[in-house]
Amino acid sequence: MAKQGLHIRLVAVIIAAALAVAGSVAVAQTLPRNQTLYIGGHQWGPPTNFNPLSSSPAWPVGGSGQMGINGAGYIFETLFLSNIVDGSNAPALGKDMAWTTPTQLTVQLQPGTMWQDGQPLTSADVKFTFELGKDFAVSTSAVWDYLQSIDTPDAATVVFNLDPARPNPGVMERYVDTVYILPQHIWQAVADQGQQALLQYENFEPVGSGSFTVMRYNAEQIVLERNDNYWGKDLYGLPTPKYVVHPIFKSNDAGNLALQQGQVDWSQQFVPNVWSMEGVGTWLADEPYYIPGSIPMMLVNVQRKGLDNVLVRRALAYAINYPLIAQTAMSRYSEPAKSSLIIPSGVESQYFDANTVEQYGWTYDPAKAKDILENQLHAKKGSDGIYVLPDGTKLSFVAQTPYGWTDWMAALQVVSQSAKASGIDVTTNFPQAPVDINDVQTGNFDLALFYISGVGPDAPWARFRDMMDDRSVPAMGQNAFWDYNRYSNPAVSNLLDKAGAATTVAEKKAAYAELDKIFMQDVPGIPLMYRPLLFYEYNTSVWTNFPTAESPQGTSPQWYIDVLRDVKLK
Amino acid sequence: MSPTFRRYILTKLGWYLVALLAAVTLNFFLPRLVPGNPVDALMARFLQGGAGATAGKTYQAFITQFHLDRPLWGQFLAYLVNIFHGDLGQSFSLFPARVTTLIGQAIPWTIALQVPAIVLGWVLGNVLGALAAYKRGAFDRNLFVSALALSSIPYYALAIVLLYVFAVAVPVFPSAGGYSFGTVPQLSWPFLWDAFSHYLLPFLSLLVIAIGGQAVGMRSMAIYELGSDYVNYATSLGVSDRRVLGYVFRNAMLPQITGLALSLGTLVGGALITEIVFSYPGVGTLLFNAINSNDYPLIQGVTLIIIVAVLLANFLVDIAYGMIDPRIRAARSGER
Repeated sequence: MAKQGLHIRLVAVIIAAALAVAGSVAVAQTLPRNQTLYIGGHQWGPPTNFNPLSSSPAWPVGGSGQMGINGAGYIFETLFLSNIVDGSNAPALGKDMAWTTPTQLTVQLQPGTMWQDGQPLTSADVKFTFELGKDFAVSTSAVWDYLQSIDTPDAATVVFNLDPARPNPGVMERYVDTVYILPQHIWQAVADQGQQALLQYENFEPVGSGSFTVMRYNAEQIVLERNDNYWGKDLYGLPTPKYVVHPIFKSNDAGNLALQQGQVDWSQQFVPNVWSMEGVGTWLADEPYYIPGSIPMMLVNVQRKGLDNVLVRRALAYAINYPLIAQTAMSRYSEPAKSSLIIPSGVESQYFDANTVEQYGWTYDPAKAKDILENQLHAKKGSDGIYVLPDGTKLSFVAQTPYGWTDWMAALQVVSQSAKASGIDVTTNFPQAPVDINDVQTGNFDLALFYISGVGPDAPWARFRDMMDDRSVPAMGQNAFWDYNRYSNPAVSNLLDKAGAATTVAEKKAAYAELDKIFMQDVPGIPLMYRPLLFYEYNTSVWTNFPTAESPQGTSPQWYIDVLRDVKLK
Repeated sequence: MSPTFRRYILTKLGWYLVALLAAVTLNFFLPRLVPGNPVDALMARFLQGGAGATAGKTYQAFITQFHLDRPLWGQFLAYLVNIFHGDLGQSFSLFPARVTTLIGQAIPWTIALQVPAIVLGWVLGNVLGALAAYKRGAFDRNLFVSALALSSIPYYALAIVLLYVFAVAVPVFPSAGGYSFGTVPQLSWPFLWDAFSHYLLPFLSLLVIAIGGQAVGMRSMAIYELGSDYVNYATSLGVSDRRVLGYVFRNAMLPQITGLALSLGTLVGGALITEIVFSYPGVGTLLFNAINSNDYPLIQGVTLIIIVAVLLANFLVDIAYGMIDPRIRAARSGER
């Protein structure tokens, strides 16, 4: 009996303790909905660092690939912000920028720039940040392929001196638009410990110069709180929401459902049939709903038997049903792809030359494919309906893209069907991403749907470079980081340098037209569709006034901080 | 403890250690047999804006950072040494997070979701299966058909239907997450209630499937037992139904215990679909993403836990068998 009494007393003590804990925090600490904006689609795994130099920083410092486009201005700020609609560079930390000579860029900082800890942000911080990329192999290092030195004549002026041997203002502007400026008084100590320490630095309490600070984070969400002492609050204003929450979903579907139900206000995800989602808006009110930002490119391995014949590549290009890809795989978010490396709409349209495309390019035209195969190549159809070249090569190829890139996989399915209808056998293969990326980099593929540079201040130059420049590309079997199919044409390098150094639109346009012509004549790749740089859709059940194409000039469907200054409570 | 039983346990223990060593070795080499390496996928971020000579330099820096430049046997030795120090290394794809931290964040969710679902499903399924076998008639037909249907519906389909019906069409449950986004996790009634409402739907989906599978298995085992001599004998003696059912239940139980141990052992990797459909926190997606990015340390870390859990569960079952069923112990030591 005594033993039982002890048990009862123990239970009573535990219950009392539990009640006491519960009573002390009676209300769940949920952020007030009318001060909180929910963002989705940038962060897909547990946040592990807020270090912009590392390989996988968490949103809003990183997320979804390229740096500087997912959350510029939230915690860290860039010097300028590139506008993918009109190509301008909007001021951020920088007030204005000027090319004093073709190889010298002078940037003037805004007055009163300040870190979140109250220290002044000066030209020394800018110089320090860029030079980290020179001293160490980090995410900003590639700018030093073009940059030679940085001068700081005074605390508010930065002068970038480019390598006169490789003048390329576009590349420099891309970095000025995307590099997050870091506080030297915090990062110097880390850098002094060397490369390893720099990449290992988790920076869990980041001190930036932007409008938000990290309030808390875990594997399920990242929460930001507004910085009401923002140095630019008089100049730019403060964001309307006091809190920004990024829930970390496990799948696209869960994120899309949350957007539809109004639990997420602003999202960057592929939403099938976005027009049918009630209460959800996009940048453009009608097709294609988004601004094109990149060209998923089907790389053609010009070294493989059969595909080494340019006429076979041309026949394949004519056989593909581009309108069907845009309609189905891209859910109408793309125009049918043109045969050009230049995106025909948006900021790059100023370089797009419809005549060159008309004259040297291709469209979906099975009759033309048949003509090339039968009359020019003298190929014969086998009993299985697949053409065989006179030398006995059967036109049978494998097209690959990583498993899980659903719209890319769907595009290759269309390629497979329409090529087969024209007598070219294309089977699809969807390996895991690292396997596919390794295949692409080492040149181990027939056809590979892959990404190349998107829109930005250096576009379409970087795209031509990625597709056509064979300089410093290692042999097949080693890892290449551009020109994956080891395509080579002696006329290219000269034209590329000319286009890179050009300072006027007319000069650039002329050089790009030449390059585009070579691309279409040689067919080292086949553009399949256009894809937005980042998706942009919003639900107006709580927050309204998201910028769209209807908004005044100067806005852009990007994830910059100015959107959060524009939104209003419904 | 008798000497035979001790010998039985020691032999078992020896075999399990051999199995552990083999599994740990495979665990190291299997992920590395996949073509490509983890750095390829990481490079994307470093390749914008016409990267030239620096691309190769950065690539090398990462190879060094992850010690992938060391010879394979050297990496293997380091891995073995680290395991015995409880150090699972740093994740590549989620650099610089430690694998132990990542797993530590995720595994409480997995265990809290799966253990109750598996255990409760096992108990309910076995009781229902035995009842069905014993009662026969309409009860058996209805239960058998619905259990068979439940256990043969693909789990992802069931999960999606549940999500659609109870979170979209009639939104009585939240559609995603372990708790409301924007809420601070804490020990308070409102938070626990919030977490519970997020817990219920994924829990029910797992429970329903578990009941179905167990009931089907138990029913056929019990029917087999019901036809055996001791049941006929007991019935002819006029022993009560309850007692006969008790005998049958205990005898049909043995294989079911193995099943329980195995499913408890594999639960770590088992909830991937639940996690994805309900966006529920857990280890499944961690492993899935690790495989998708050739993240060797993270793959190894999660599979190591699975290995240890499976081996441990089997070892415990073996010991339990040795105690429950004297035949097994006797056969081992050659006693008749």
